Amino acid sequence: MEDLTFGTGGRPAGVPNVARMESEPAAVDVRNLSKRYGGTLAVDDVSLRVATGEIFGVLGTNGAGKTTTVEIIAGLRRPDSGHVRVLGLDPRRERAKVRQVLGVQLQQAHLHHALTVAELIDLYVSFYPNPRPARELLDLVGLTSQRTTRFEKLSGGQQQRLSIALALAGRPRVAILDELTTGLDPRARRKVWATVEQLRDENVTVLLVTHAMEEVERLCDRVALLDAGRIIALDTPAGLVARAGAANLDEAFVALSGKELEESA
Amino acid sequence: MSSPIIARRPGLGSWLTLIRCETKMVVRDTAGLVVPIGLPLLILMMNSSAAGGEVVINGRTALDVYVLPLVITIVMATIGIINMPSFLAYYRRSGILRRLSVTPASPAMVLIAQVVVSLLQTVIGIGAAFAVALLVFDANPPLRPAAAIGAALLAMTAMYALGMIVAAVAPTPNSAVAIGLVAFFAVGALGGLFGGRDSLPDVLARAGEWLPFGASVEVLQSAWAGVPMEPLHLISLTATIALGGLIAAVFFRWD
Repeated sequence: MEDLTFGTGGRPAGVPNVARMESEPAAVDVRNLSKRYGGTLAVDDVSLRVATGEIFGVLGTNGAGKTTTVEIIAGLRRPDSGHVRVLGLDPRRERAKVRQVLGVQLQQAHLHHALTVAELIDLYVSFYPNPRPARELLDLVGLTSQRTTRFEKLSGGQQQRLSIALALAGRPRVAILDELTTGLDPRARRKVWATVEQLRDENVTVLLVTHAMEEVERLCDRVALLDAGRIIALDTPAGLVARAGAANLDEAFVALSGKELEESA
Repeated sequence: MSSPIIARRPGLGSWLTLIRCETKMVVRDTAGLVVPIGLPLLILMMNSSAAGGEVVINGRTALDVYVLPLVITIVMATIGIINMPSFLAYYRRSGILRRLSVTPASPAMVLIAQVVVSLLQTVIGIGAAFAVALLVFDANPPLRPAAAIGAALLAMTAMYALGMIVAAVAPTPNSAVAIGLVAFFAVGALGGLFGGRDSLPDVLARAGEWLPFGASVEVLQSAWAGVPMEPLHLISLTATIALGGLIAAVFFRWD
């Protein structure tokens, strides 16, 4: 996996499979979701449907409600109101079933700091009845040569890639990836993108939380633009650009939300 | 593609993998091993030569009846009250428990695996102290071995219960260590950690005897000397377990 081969085969980004969206039940179905923390509405009447095999972006500034939304979808938080289904299952009431088919990469998730890459992969693989083999996971995220390195000794990018590998350990049908490439250098970022493109080829549904425009353009079939907890636009990346009459997605974002996206460090 | 989704709990292989991982975490945390294995050995060394010779009761020496029960209690208390909660607090704070909660493994699996590993650690700590006492200082085994094992299990459960209270109230890993140390030295000082309770004021000596550290020393002493255990001490340990379980159930948070 040292060479940077990018998603061959499969649909290119930005071309949603509309026919499948209409005929099949949604992989992720969210209706009228709201969540309040104290006085602020973190998520405000959010609805979205993600089709099987789709790579769906959730884009917005910090504090726009992206992470809260996907954490509710993952069953980590209880919504105040609204309806959530993942492959037809309720993430809180049917938690055990959802855990079999949903892979989650949490933002800044820490792992056992003194365990090595191989030990952590073996551990997470052991949780699932039909896991992806450890060697395949290592290869997928390009960490084969770091397999005996402890988590605490990995670079930020390597930790992030390990975190993605663990989210994919159980061969999930839906993957939630939160702030996938934040803090990565360009080379590490391209490697992670190649991994996501491989998921597209395997027909895995991906919910991608991000504030990186390049990532959205490169990977996402459709994208929901969140601002202050509300979806202010939902379209293909090209559709958003066209709708805003903008030259690129950056400009479209500013035009639609009235805000600059902060530079992802 | 749309095969029915069945909820499967992680199997035996997964439990063994997790226990192996938790063992590695404990072994690689070298500082955490010093206190439960080193401190009891040190106390044993300091007290054994003086206490070894004189027979106190039923052919058992002061070493058997006073030092060994104290040393065993120190091993159990340091692991139960300081080490176990600091691991749990670290796992909670760092988001490890949260990460596990989105897999088929439950955070409770981690708790149970930690208990298994810390029990192994306790057995090693007690085994090391006991071996040194037997081989170097001519100590004698307890007159009632089964009672001693039962007493140790009850006392260990009480120490875990106390540790769960620490884990439940501690907001951060550092505070868990601090609260654990304070709790350990508090019940220890009153329970004879720094010398007999006789030198303490009456009220404190009585309180120390009722608290789990003192009660643990007392029941182990009875088992060693071959005399009946006092119901008061057994009730005290049982009450600690009930109270700790209750407080942990109400206040412990996974994230």
